[in-house]
Amino acid sequence: MLLNVHLVRAAWFVCAPLLLGQAARVEFNRDIRPILSDRCFNCHGPDATVKGIKLRLDSEAGMLADLGGRAAVVPGQAEKSEMLKRITAEKAAVRMPPVHTGIKLSDREIELLRQWIAEGAVFQKHWSLAPPSRPDPPPVKLAIWPKNAIDHFVLARLERDGWKPSPEADKAALIRRVSLDLTGLPPTPAEIDAFLNDSSPNAYEKAVDRLLASPRYGERMAVRWLEAARYADTNGYQTDAERSMWRWRDWVIHAFNRNLPFDQFTIDQIAGDLLPNPTRDQIIATGFNRNHRGNGEGGIIPEEYLVEYVADRVETMSTVFLGTTMGCARCHNHKYDPFTQKDYYQLFAYFNNIAERGRYFKYGNTPPVTPAPTPEQEAKLEEIERQVAAAERRFRALEEPSRLEQAKWEKSLAGAASVNWAVSRGLAAHVPLGRKQFDGQQFHNAGKLAEFGFYSPFTISAWIHPQAPTGAIVTRAKDVLEETGILLMMQDGKMQLNLALRWLDDALRVETEKSVPLNEWHHVMATYDGSRVAEGIHIFLDGKEQPLKIILDELNQDFRVNEPWRIGGGGGPELRYKGLIDEVRIYSRTLSGSEAELLALRQPLNRTASAPANERSKAEQAKLRLAFLEEHAEAEIRGAWKEWRDLVEKRDKLVAGLPTVMVMQEIEKPRDAYLLIRGAYDKPGEKVGRNVPASLHPLTSGVPGNRLALAKWLVDRANPLTARVIANRFWVMYFGIGLVKTVEDFGAQGDWPSHPDLLDWLATEFLGSGWDVKALQKTIVMSATYRQTSRVTPELAQKDPENRLLARGPRVRLSAEMVRDQALAVSGLLVEKIGGPSVKPYQPAGLWKELSGADYHRDKGEDLYRRSLYTFWKRTAPPPAMMNFDASSRETCIVRENRTNTPLQALNLMNDVTYLEAARKMAERMMREGGSEPAGRIAFGFRLATARHPKPNEAGLLADSFRNQLDYYQTDREAALKFLSQGDSPRDEKLDASELAAYAAVASLILNLDETVTKQ
Amino acid sequence: MSDPRILELTRRHFFGRTASGVGMAALASLLGEEAKGAWMAPHFAPTAKRVIYLFMSGGPSQMELFDYKPMLEKLRGTNLPDSVRMGQRLTGMTATQASFPVVESLFKFSRHGQSGAWASELAPHTAKVIDRLCFIKSMHTEAINHDPAVTFFQTGFQLAGRPSIGSWLAYGLGSENKDLPAFIVMISTTGKGDQPLYDRLWGSGFLPTKYQGVKFRSAGEPVLYLSNPEGMPDKGRRRFLDDLAKMNQLELEEFGDPEIATRITQYEMAYRMQTSVPELTDFSKEPERTFELYGPDARKPGTFAANCLLARRMAERGVRFIQLFHRGWDHHNNLPENIVKVSQETDQPAAALVEDLHERGLLDDTLVVWGGEFGRTVYCQGKLTPKDYGRDHHPRCFTIWMAGGGVKPGLTYGATDDFCYNITGNPVHVHDLHATILRMLGIDHTKLTYKFQGRYFRLTDIHGSVVKDVLA
Repeated sequence: MLLNVHLVRAAWFVCAPLLLGQAARVEFNRDIRPILSDRCFNCHGPDATVKGIKLRLDSEAGMLADLGGRAAVVPGQAEKSEMLKRITAEKAAVRMPPVHTGIKLSDREIELLRQWIAEGAVFQKHWSLAPPSRPDPPPVKLAIWPKNAIDHFVLARLERDGWKPSPEADKAALIRRVSLDLTGLPPTPAEIDAFLNDSSPNAYEKAVDRLLASPRYGERMAVRWLEAARYADTNGYQTDAERSMWRWRDWVIHAFNRNLPFDQFTIDQIAGDLLPNPTRDQIIATGFNRNHRGNGEGGIIPEEYLVEYVADRVETMSTVFLGTTMGCARCHNHKYDPFTQKDYYQLFAYFNNIAERGRYFKYGNTPPVTPAPTPEQEAKLEEIERQVAAAERRFRALEEPSRLEQAKWEKSLAGAASVNWAVSRGLAAHVPLGRKQFDGQQFHNAGKLAEFGFYSPFTISAWIHPQAPTGAIVTRAKDVLEETGILLMMQDGKMQLNLALRWLDDALRVETEKSVPLNEWHHVMATYDGSRVAEGIHIFLDGKEQPLKIILDELNQDFRVNEPWRIGGGGGPELRYKGLIDEVRIYSRTLSGSEAELLALRQPLNRTASAPANERSKAEQAKLRLAFLEEHAEAEIRGAWKEWRDLVEKRDKLVAGLPTVMVMQEIEKPRDAYLLIRGAYDKPGEKVGRNVPASLHPLTSGVPGNRLALAKWLVDRANPLTARVIANRFWVMYFGIGLVKTVEDFGAQGDWPSHPDLLDWLATEFLGSGWDVKALQKTIVMSATYRQTSRVTPELAQKDPENRLLARGPRVRLSAEMVRDQALAVSGLLVEKIGGPSVKPYQPAGLWKELSGADYHRDKGEDLYRRSLYTFWKRTAPPPAMMNFDASSRETCIVRENRTNTPLQALNLMNDVTYLEAARKMAERMMREGGSEPAGRIAFGFRLATARHPKPNEAGLLADSFRNQLDYYQTDREAALKFLSQGDSPRDEKLDASELAAYAAVASLILNLDETVTKQ
Repeated sequence: MSDPRILELTRRHFFGRTASGVGMAALASLLGEEAKGAWMAPHFAPTAKRVIYLFMSGGPSQMELFDYKPMLEKLRGTNLPDSVRMGQRLTGMTATQASFPVVESLFKFSRHGQSGAWASELAPHTAKVIDRLCFIKSMHTEAINHDPAVTFFQTGFQLAGRPSIGSWLAYGLGSENKDLPAFIVMISTTGKGDQPLYDRLWGSGFLPTKYQGVKFRSAGEPVLYLSNPEGMPDKGRRRFLDDLAKMNQLELEEFGDPEIATRITQYEMAYRMQTSVPELTDFSKEPERTFELYGPDARKPGTFAANCLLARRMAERGVRFIQLFHRGWDHHNNLPENIVKVSQETDQPAAALVEDLHERGLLDDTLVVWGGEFGRTVYCQGKLTPKDYGRDHHPRCFTIWMAGGGVKPGLTYGATDDFCYNITGNPVHVHDLHATILRMLGIDHTKLTYKFQGRYFRLTDIHGSVVKDVLA
């Protein structure tokens, strides 16, 4: 089952001769290279020498080389050419390709090779490796047809075979086509009417300009880019938990909408971080290279995955910008194209210089990350900064009088009884204990006072007087050795902080290099900043920060436990503490080093105050000052101080809560890169530097050899590939198939362009316009080629089933996200909000849970009706309705669009709540906006989805269908109510339920029409 | 398909391209013909027409189940000798362990049947059908972690992105049934979900998505979006489809695009599935004997037992590749306790499936495969106590079994050393297993290819050889 039709489309070889045309002369690139590449290069290609094979057929020199009195090719003399002798040899042992390979040459292919040699064996460099020239649009006979240069190329090709273009599509079809293509949404009835009623000669152009200026345009363009850039909302391996890259998605949408030139679009994404004074946006853009999957599974070998991430970057960049299958050169020289394995690892060397870990965090973003506030958050941040500054000014104004008042207070203090103070901001728990003695058996249960997890900053402070070198001091952990939780403890005299979910592979352990002396009092303080890495931990002894040894840095998941805080215990009987503990304080923030100093002061305030000011230490001064400002100053000063600190805290919280994006960020000393033998992470060979493949244009001289140079090289005018590859992919968005059909492969194994000159014209046009993306889209949709009707005559269907020659307009099923977005749009449910975090619309219950335990909790309200590019994308359980309609799975870079036609799609459109709710809301619109008669209402609904009025026979059929459904729902009102109960949106109670159900059934039928899910 | 010219066109295109025979079945279905008649084995005479693959996710311990190692009793608690380990890499979970004490199975072994094959007390039902099974004790793989290891078994490659074995077969062989998918996946909902699964494990990779596995679910609808909504009775749906077909027909007449004709047939097939799937999942006509065979759990949807019974019903209906996933085999700790539970869940139904297929004459051309993504280490992970131990992942040797479809029954193939650490004879790599399964289905694994990014990809990449010794 799951039928197939696409193979029919794929089977274009029947029209290959048609593409080849009647040209008598054989051309190497078009006719010969594909044969050699597919049948011979595996042994006699770029990788031949490495294998010890002398004959190479991928270069002219190789083909003509004298190999002991023989040459594979003797120009003009087919019979003397060894190649021809061998491919036609009778004896199997001599014949090429060898029998055991199963590879064969057809008679026609042999004949082509013979003819090519006979005609002089003219070799050509592979077409895509030579920079595009600027061809003149060829002359055509039907001179009135072309609207721009595109049409000259298309028509000239058609006329060569005596074909004619199709007439222009009618206006309704045209406005729907171009609206879907440029914005991903169908036109509204008002937009259709405006276009139909506009009889000015540039009516179409006006519509195109309006669509290009719509914010919906950026969303439409972003979808394909997201697929190419393997954007997703989860990490992709094992647990496949959430990450946060949506600010990068926002950047892409915005970049298309503001028509960022494609060269800058490229540079920002590949190397925005390396630009001089990069903007926040330019740093966010580098998320492109961090969208790959990241493995946080316990027990993986980090080095192995570090290599995978870098390889993914190389391969994605090569596919997206260069249309080359660079991944083939990871394990050996490329078999078909002129890329060596060394070339591959020289590219690799551009991408392995960021401070990333091989084992990604299971949950959330893995460094390097950048805070990525939304514009609203930026505004809020600016506002609060202003407030902080104002509050500081208010406090400073009171500074002078406050000093005087403090001096008076200090004097009064000097004679007073014991007064003390400790840092109080963020204090979550204080356990005074009173110098409690622990005997190595018992512990103090301090209760569940404060809970900290993976992302929570915290500080633990205590006075200790240890009498044994090992023992737990303050813990919130299971009372079992090496189990889950937080443990501040001593181990063999060293102070240790442990954060663990599971030993040994999901735990963090750092310890001081120096030991804590036994049998004397010391102050100890440990802080964790919520960054999930060992670097985020600091330990202070007597107010001094201690050098730390990182023993384990593999923390990966939350370590919360349902256990009390224990003092002197936790982590099992083995860790019971022996000695004294006093004044335990737990803070829900990261205290600073200077605060550690304050906490480590033994002297009570009254004693400090009694000493002359010049004999007090800086810390003592600070302690007095803070104690005064927080507790003893008069109300106005205290208030001003508190207001300022509260605002600072508020700002810090806001900053901590900002969304982040994983980005590229160079480490100072580049990591070494090696050619990996057979691609294996643990088999480094020759050391390599950064460089671009020798078979392509060189880097601009004199620039530093970093990623920025590579980015500029990608969009260098001398680059033969990027402009062609990108123009070709844009073309696919309109025609459903590329001028080069293998959009991901412009190499020897790729397809020959159907219109080489047109491709070059588009590429040079794109370059010449300064990489103006919108201008290129406009050029394509303004062409007469694009505007043709997509009706297929049997003759056309037979001769050119894939429409490679473009004698008709495009007819392509809508892409996955368009199918849904259209239904939301025509029903009026669509929420046109741009950007933001991903949303979770309807999806059958339990789909996540049955795979991984975490459940999918769908959203409510407007997040159910956002455009599909905002749908939360879990890589290991992607949205089923998207996958049913051929969305790419976002595991790796995919640039080829696929369209299948399956029964699962039929079931999806008929029975998914998304489409049933849309049908109901569409029916309400039909009843409210379509007049009072069934015929008018049905026509209105039909037009919402197809942009045209139904023809009489269609109207008759639909009316009949409506009457039938109406009969049923009028006799069974209960059924009507049930049918109308789909989805969260409220039903319009003013409308008769039976009638509405019948219209909803018709609306559902309309949403299921082939025409509705097709751009035609 | 109103226009005979379009039909003819379609047919010619198709057969013109498919010199290898690949994909003909799909075309046959497209044309509304019986797929069975259209398909001819492209490379060899097949011994199996379909596969039921019982995937034991997590990595069952070979030492507790089938690979008996009496010497370990004496060696208990001693460190794994370096001469055995030979510096092989370990997972990050135990690489930093201070010692590697070996531990024997707590479960008793005995020989069974005519073949005298070993099985432990954990597998009493499997032991009863042991003469129908062929054990491979020398399986080995390259990955040492779940995600890459399961992905490797499913797609022949450790990283995501390639087609799964079932989708290769759907692409290569099509379906034997025009009302059901060619490739169906079922996941036990009762197994302890210690390791996640991923939709991509039955995905189609770079093959068109129509070849991907269809997941049958035990809760809710068996197939997503299968049922009509409330308030849309079957009669109304039939009328809806008739009207839809007429509308699409009008469009076909005007636009002439064969895709429209296909769309019409897809809606018809969707309608047939609405009948055939509920019929498939309805056990009410199964005799009492069935539930005695599979165990009482077979009445509970979502259990491994119920899924095994469903698998048999699918096999009867000609589903090409049926894959069951059962989780709960990842025994890093508390192995003795946990393996008892998961064995109880799986032993009887798996054995029953083999027996049931045999009784119905289906075992001859149905291949059943039982196995996980890797084995487990001989040394203990975590604390070794008299009653308790754990085992880490071990890719270097583990046991699977196969039955029916042309494998040699009663054979034990391959061997491991006394530590169950290294293979001592007849190693079988994952690629070899794939090549062998394909061979049984009549396919030369080097010839089932798909061109993507300029390269002809295979399930077996550039490796794999058929293990002829296990073929009857």
